[in-house]
Amino acid sequence: MAWNEPGGNGNNQDPWNSGGKRNGGGNNDQGPPDLDEALQKLQEKLNGIFGKSNKSGGSGGKSAAPSGGLFGILIVILLLGWAGFGVYTVDQQQRGVVLTLGKYSETVMPGLHWNPPLIDQVTQVNVTRVNAYDHRSLMLTEDENIVDVSITVQYVISDPKNYLLKVRDPEASLANAAESALRHIVGGSEMDSILTEGREILGTDVKARLQQYMEDYQTGLRISQVNIKEVKAPSQVQDAFDDVIKAREDEQRVMNEAESYRNGIIPEARGIAQRMKEEASAYREQVVAQAQGDAQRFEALLGEYLKAPGVTRERLYLDAMETVMSNNSKVLVDVEGGNNMMYLPLDKLAERRQAPVDFNRSGSGARLSNDNIRDITDQVIEQLRQRQQTTRRETR
Amino acid sequence: MSGKSMAGVVVALLLVVLASNSLYIIKETDRAVLLKFGEIVNPNIQPGLHVKFPIINKVRKFDGRVLTLDAQPQSYLTVEKKRLVVDSFIKWRVIDPQTYYTATSGDQFRAAERLFPSVDAGLRAQFGERTLTEVVSGERDQLMVELTDSLSQTTRDELGIELIDIRVKKIDLPQEVSNSVYDRMRTEREREARELRSRGQELAEGIRADADRQKTVIEAGAYRDAQELRGEGDAESAGIYASAYSRDPEFYSFYRSLNAYKEAFNQQGDVMILEPDSEFFRYLNQPNLQQ
Repeated sequence: MAWNEPGGNGNNQDPWNSGGKRNGGGNNDQGPPDLDEALQKLQEKLNGIFGKSNKSGGSGGKSAAPSGGLFGILIVILLLGWAGFGVYTVDQQQRGVVLTLGKYSETVMPGLHWNPPLIDQVTQVNVTRVNAYDHRSLMLTEDENIVDVSITVQYVISDPKNYLLKVRDPEASLANAAESALRHIVGGSEMDSILTEGREILGTDVKARLQQYMEDYQTGLRISQVNIKEVKAPSQVQDAFDDVIKAREDEQRVMNEAESYRNGIIPEARGIAQRMKEEASAYREQVVAQAQGDAQRFEALLGEYLKAPGVTRERLYLDAMETVMSNNSKVLVDVEGGNNMMYLPLDKLAERRQAPVDFNRSGSGARLSNDNIRDITDQVIEQLRQRQQTTRRETR
Repeated sequence: MSGKSMAGVVVALLLVVLASNSLYIIKETDRAVLLKFGEIVNPNIQPGLHVKFPIINKVRKFDGRVLTLDAQPQSYLTVEKKRLVVDSFIKWRVIDPQTYYTATSGDQFRAAERLFPSVDAGLRAQFGERTLTEVVSGERDQLMVELTDSLSQTTRDELGIELIDIRVKKIDLPQEVSNSVYDRMRTEREREARELRSRGQELAEGIRADADRQKTVIEAGAYRDAQELRGEGDAESAGIYASAYSRDPEFYSFYRSLNAYKEAFNQQGDVMILEPDSEFFRYLNQPNLQQ
């Protein structure tokens, strides 16, 4: 180190200084040629000092050759080593900030570079990597509620010079500023809007404010995104908030139940209505048809009746009477002068009216099988026959 | 090796020692003052390589970047005497190395000690004339700008410091106040939940009632239409009967009566008590009757 410092500050500084200035002029891709040029110059210089091997050997070179030559070679080796340490590459994602003797000289782009070691200090900074800072805390809203917000700030180093030289600990500055900006924006918003649709706006607002702070402090950071990861009520009241959500669901559920009741009952009513109308319609058709049938039957009969009224009347009457009489029990009372002491066993007669089964009533109680009916019919006929015989005997 | 070369080496070593004591580098990130026996001779050395006399001159460097003073949270009262716990940070930078060195001997902690009380007092004053709502929501920016403006001149003159920004990180309520806030939040939510549920019931009841009404209306309408149809049927059939039977009413009565007798006595078990002098039994006793 100490060996080189004076050398570096003395004779040998000039060639590279000029080279360095040319570098600073913007020709950043001239790293390797620069080095070659410098080495060539060095070579020429050394040749000039320690004897001209290229040109014809002069007389002056011989006297200093033995000791001076060895010393010279040593110096050349040291210089070469020193120069070799100055070569470096800057990756595509990086930028290099060069301080020449502590003073900012340039920011170098990706590629192969050479800067004189110990004179220039090169710090490489990644300018494409997206860094993230997470933050979560409880904070006050405008309407004096407390919310629990967590955010992620994504940022890149956009200005390596400022990043390295202007602020001490830019990341800590970002953390402080992020918290301040977030609380500022949340403090100016109502809780409900933050918890619901205001999230996007919240993120944008925080980003804008935070970017402003970063520029004020010259941190060289660019905020690429602020994500509001989660906004929720504090854990102490979380259950009450959840209950509101449940209540909203309940509201919907109760309404759905009512809707389903409606959707069940109304079509049913419509069905019943349809049935009533159809039945009425059927009744109408039925009675009209019956009337027409009855009328036609009567008219047909009437036609015949008018041809022979007396006979037809008689016949009809007798037919009807026959039907009536044959269907019923009869008591023929031939009492001239009114024997009112005649005893009619009406209770006996009525007993038989209590038929075991009423055939006309449908759907009530036990139905009789055909066999049963047949048995009963047989019995009835037998009884009737006997009775008829007895009545005849009586009348005679 | 000859003595000449030995002497050369010694001279070189001396040169190196001399150089290391008389040359110094000020980095871009530093601010520095040059002292001559403790007295400032260069109040603001620019970045780069500089020369000084060894022993006579001394260089004092300080961090020239933007620095952060992040103090402990403090309690402040608002205008309505509510206590708030406030955590703030201050961004500052050395702008006048000479004044800075004179005031603080270049010690950051001493600078912070000098800086913080005035900021603290300023914050206390600003909070004291605002309500809690103003502090929390709208007026943070204004508060900070006012504070920075009021302090920046004095810090610049007295400490050689530029106040870049004063920011409030946290404004929190004390724990006991927080608890009452939580209670209020809880009751608000409960109110809202109840309101939602009741509203659901209300709407549901409305829907049900409406459904019931529709059902009744539909069925009543159907009954009306049905009766109308039945009436039409009755009327039409009556008309048909009338037009047929009025052709010979007497015969109709006769014919219909006969049918009615048949119908009336079609059940077994009816008992007829008859006198034999009825028309039907005309021939029963008088087979030779001639009409």
